[in-house]
This record gives sequence, C-alpha cells and structure tokens, in this order.
Amino acid sequence: MKDEAIYRRLFRTALLIRLVEERIIALYPSDKIQSPVHLSIGQESVAVGVCDGLRPDDLVFATYRSHGFYIAKGGRLDAMFAELYGRTGGISGGKAGSMHLTAPEVGLMGSSAVVASTIPHAVGAALSFKRRGVDRLAVAVFGDGATEEGVYHESLNFAALMKVPVLFLCEDNGLAVHSHRPVRQAYRLAEHAASYGIANRRVEEGWDMLAVRRATLEAAARVRAGEPFVLEIVTSRYKEHVGVGEDFHFNYRTKDGVDAWKGRDPLIVDAQLVEVFRPELEREIAAAVAFAEASPAPGHAELLTDVI
Amino acid sequence: MSIATVKPISQGARILSYAGALLETMDAALASHANAFIMGQGVDDFKGIFGSTTGLAEKYGAARVFDVPLMEEGMTGVAIGAALVGDYPITTHIRADFSFLAMNQIINLASKYRYMFGGLMSCPMLIRIVVGRSWGQGAQHSQSPQATFAHYPGLTVVMPSSSQAILDMYPAIINRHPGPVISIEHRLLYNLDFTVSPSEKRVPLTSYVAREGSDVTVVATSVMVLEALRAAQYVQDEAGISAEIVDLNSISHPDWDLVAASLAKTGRLVIADTSWLEYGVAAEVCRQLVVRDPRLLRQPPAMLGMAPAPCPTAKSLEDIYYPSQHETVDAILTQVKGEGHGIALPVERSMTEGYKRFRGPF
Ligand SMILES: Cc1ncc(C[n+]2csc(CCOP(=O)(O)OP(=O)(O)O)c2C)c(N)n1
Ligand SMILES: [Mg+2]
Repeated sequence: MKDEAIYRRLFRTALLIRLVEERIIALYPSDKIQSPVHLSIGQESVAVGVCDGLRPDDLVFATYRSHGFYIAKGGRLDAMFAELYGRTGGISGGKAGSMHLTAPEVGLMGSSAVVASTIPHAVGAALSFKRRGVDRLAVAVFGDGATEEGVYHESLNFAALMKVPVLFLCEDNGLAVHSHRPVRQAYRLAEHAASYGIANRRVEEGWDMLAVRRATLEAAARVRAGEPFVLEIVTSRYKEHVGVGEDFHFNYRTKDGVDAWKGRDPLIVDAQLVEVFRPELEREIAAAVAFAEASPAPGHAELLTDVI
Repeated sequence: MSIATVKPISQGARILSYAGALLETMDAALASHANAFIMGQGVDDFKGIFGSTTGLAEKYGAARVFDVPLMEEGMTGVAIGAALVGDYPITTHIRADFSFLAMNQIINLASKYRYMFGGLMSCPMLIRIVVGRSWGQGAQHSQSPQATFAHYPGLTVVMPSSSQAILDMYPAIINRHPGPVISIEHRLLYNLDFTVSPSEKRVPLTSYVAREGSDVTVVATSVMVLEALRAAQYVQDEAGISAEIVDLNSISHPDWDLVAASLAKTGRLVIADTSWLEYGVAAEVCRQLVVRDPRLLRQPPAMLGMAPAPCPTAKSLEDIYYPSQHETVDAILTQVKGEGHGIALPVERSMTEGYKRFRGPF
C-alpha cells in the first residue's frame, strides 16, 4: 500500500531525529556539546512531513531549532555531530554549532538564532527563482513567536506584492520560550495572512506526518503556480525551550497538554515500528558520534578564515 | 562646480559627476552581471536616487530595477536570500540613517554568514547608503555610520570621495568581492564634477595618497578629502606648507602601511572625518599608529569631525557643528607652525559656501 510505504519512510526519518536528540540528551552532561541546544522532540512530524512534501531542490531557511529540518532535508549525520562537538569535521568546522545548522548541498540554506531573521531570505531566494524562471520554491520555517516580529509582516507584504514562490511554514508549538501565544498575539495568523491576500491553512494534527505531508504537497502546488502560502502546523515541544531537560516543575505549563499529544505521537504509539528501525538507526548514530569524537578541534589555523 | 583635480588631465580623461559615475557603474553592473539587480525605495522613479539609477528600470526592466515597500530590514533580508542563491543584489538607502532599520540583517546575518557557516554560505551584495549634510538635514538625516559598520568583522565598508573612486571600486566590488559591502556615499558630492581617467589603475579596496606632501599628513574620509585638498592648496599658497592627503577610502580595510609611511615622512597628523571622533575613524587611526610605533607622531595629532551632539537643524548651528574650511586650514597650520601661527585663515566659515550648488531640498 502506497501510503504505508510513505509512512514507513517518514517514520524512519522522524525516529532518526528523535534518537539523535535523545543521544544529544545523553551526551549533554559530559560537556562534549558546549553550546545551547533547542530540541525538536515532539515536533519531528512537522520537519519530516514538510521536507517529504517538497522536491529535493526546494530550499529551506530555518531557525536555531533545526536538528529536525537538517536531518529531514538529508544533511549528513556525522558532520552534524561533529558540528555540535565543535570539531573541524563539522559542517561548518565548528563555527556554527547547533543553532546554525546548514546543508546547502541538500537545500538547507542556513539557520539563524535571531528569531524571524531568515524569513525574508526565503522570500529573496523565491524572488530570484521567479525572475530566472526556475521551477523551485523556497520555504521559510519559523515558530509562532516569530510571527510577532516586524520582518514577518514585511516579508508577507513583499511576497504577496511580488507574487513569489515562497511557503511560509509556521511551527506552532504555542510557546515562545515560556510565554503562551494568547498573551503575545492580538491577531490570528490566518486572518493576518488573508489580509495580504495570501492563501493559508492551519493543520491541527501536527503529529500526523502524512497529514503534514499532504498539506505541504497541496500548499507547494499552489506556491509553484506562483503565489505565496502560509501553512501553520500545530505541534508540541516536549522539552524545555533550550537545553535537554523537562520544565514542567516550573508550572508555566501543564504536563497534561504534552501528555495528550504524546498519546497521539506515532513515535510513541507505534512502538512496534520503533523497534523495527531502532537498531539500524542506533548504529548510524553511533558511527556519527564516533566520527565527531575522532575529529580534531579547530584552532589558530581556523580562527580567522572565511571572515570576509 | 569643478573640484581641483588631483592630477593633470591625462589622455582619455573626462569630466564626470559623482552621480554620473554611480549611474555608469550601476548600468555596467546590470549589463555585465545577468543576476545583478537593484532595489530600494525610489530606485525606479524620476529622481532615481539623486540621479544614480535614473533610466535603468526602463533599460533593464522592472524585474531588475524596482521600488520596494518601506521595509529596510525585510529588503536587506530579501537581498541576502537572493545572494545566497547566486544573485548580486544592490540595495539603496537615500539616507544612511534609514539603514539602521536594517542593522539586524546587516550585522547579525550578512556579516556573519560566511564565517558562521565555515565558508559554506556567502552573501556578496552592495548596500549603498547616502550621508546627508547641510540644508537643515537635522539629527536623523545626517549620520555617517562608517565606524559603526566597520566595527563588525565580515563587513567591508568604503567611502568613495570622488567619481574616480566609484569607477575604481564599484566594478571590483560587484564583480569580485566575496562578501557584503556597504558604500557610504555623500550627498554633497553627488552634484560635483570630477576629472576621471580610464588609465588609473588603483588597487580598488584600499587607501591612497590624494595629494603628495612632506610637512604634515591629513588622513581624511569622503567629503573631508575634498576639504583637505582645498585646505592643502590654501596652506601651500599662503604659507608654503606641503600637506600630504591620504584618502582612507576603504574604511574597514585601509592601507595602514601607507598611512604609517606618510607619518614616517611628516611626523605630523590631522585626521578629518565626516562623523564623530569618539570611538570612530579618528580613534582607529590613532590606535593603528600608536600600536605600530608611537614615535611616528612627533606631537599630538589634531582631529576634525562632527561636534559631539546630534546634528542640529538651524544653519547657524550646523555651520559650527561641522568642521569648516577655516578650521581645517587652522588645524594644518597649527600642526606645522604651532599655536599662534599668525597666518590669515580663509574667511569662508561654512562648508556650504563652497558647495553652493546644494540647495536641497533633500
Ligand atoms: C530577535 C530575537 N528576540 C528574542 C530572542 C530570544 N528567543 C529565542 S527563541 C525565542 C522564542 C521564539 O519562539 P517561536 O518563534 O515560537 O519558536 P520556538 O522556540 O517555539 O520554536 C525567543 C524569544 C531571539 N533569539 N531573537
Ligand atoms: Mg513557538
């Protein structure tokens, strides 16, 4: 059955993301990864569903919370771990770390730790595609909090005016650090997008990889036809905003909401399939970690390269 | 108004205004680089950024020269995204002050992309910003942020002081420079005519000697290079003083060897910058020289820049806010002859007297 084959493919990648991040959690107390990490555990279905709904040469512009998009877009795992370790074998030789993953060879065009700052980059790439008559699209990935920034508004307005092939992809986990969406937003994202004449859709079942994939395919088809689109996907961040722990004891949110989400999370519910893929994925991860461990740390020779 | 040329008119030389040089280089960029484009507020209107983009939208089409909404940060982000996929974006801000709304994209993103991603990403692009002065530009239409931008590694900052500097630098920047460049143009220069020569073969992104001399070195930027040249002529005529003028030109990457060599010759220094002295170009020139060899300075240097206040609008205040020709000449004379040199100073007190053609409105 076709959907089943797709589901297994998506599931495998989603599980890889979760196992990679669980490995990061396990490694973190050793201080081998000395940089902030923003885990996407709970949000994997968004990254895999979206990337699978794109073509390989479509471009993604991402954020500090991008382990998931990096892996879903096809970035090298060994280079990712070496990057987190701050080693020369890392994607960016250790100068980037977890918050700035990039993999231009597979279409991940950088990620930024300044909220909302890569949204206009996707618009710029899309503008270029349109002018050159290239059949590609650009995806701006951002959180619900990012939509409060002025540049989000500027980007939507310009994209709508210029009719460029850009997909605005909002991962709505309802939180910006510890602050809930209702205290931050006087607007509704859909109405806001519609006021620019931008078609939009909100997917409530963000745990459902196939639903996310279908929504992406449909949105991408409209974008390819020459109009921007705002796709909002509801999701859930299980871990603390930054770091590897849980944060329910601070009482800014309840465990119930996350537990309800976990009750539908395929990576938990579909325990059988987890065990099917786990051994090979763990081997893949072990090899990547070994690569990182063996990779030398950068030093004076690298300090001042690639400045200009 | 024709400004005294540095060198005698050579073969193939011609007269070209600053705005004309800008227009030529913008035209050449679009003609030679299929993926170059220009965007900015008003680039395609009848004023064409003070004549520097006029007619290009008609010539190259709206896909390559286009107006944008009022979105300084967004526009700069759009430019970065386009650069990341191989375009060469040129953006404009009719006042440097407005580029401050794009600081996030310029400083947090563009300047960092190459380094932060270990050389995997880069965003070559040209950001043209225009400094306003005189005709009551006031506090928010007059700032000259070379020190601000040059502070950040990853940015290349230039300040062309003549049509020749534009012809020499812009093609090199647009065709070959790997990273983002901020060019700080000066509104007072736009309508001035300069002699330009095609035979001039300068290394583009560096500093150069605008006038040779032996008694005192004046390190200057942008329109202050012109002020220094006029002052040098005056002190030559009135006091037989030979002033060497170094046009810093490339603010982020000046030729410090050149500056030091000039100081080794003269031992006396005047710094003339278009902005504030505090933590600025003047401070950096001193730092570079002192760290290299404090003995390069035979005596404390003199510095000319904007008064340490926001720029006032009233002409009477503006005239004393900026260093005048009078003060520039005085600084040079005092360096060479000492306090109470007794030599008559030029009567001209306001720089706008010398640049009468700028009568606004903007
Ligand atoms: C411009 C800016 N302001 C504030 C911060 C601090 N900060 C980091 S993440 C974050 C929350 C962003 O929330 P959202 O966009 O919903 O993304 P999420 O972290 O939920 O994935 C904030 C405020 C920042 N990095 N950049
Ligand atoms: Mg959020």
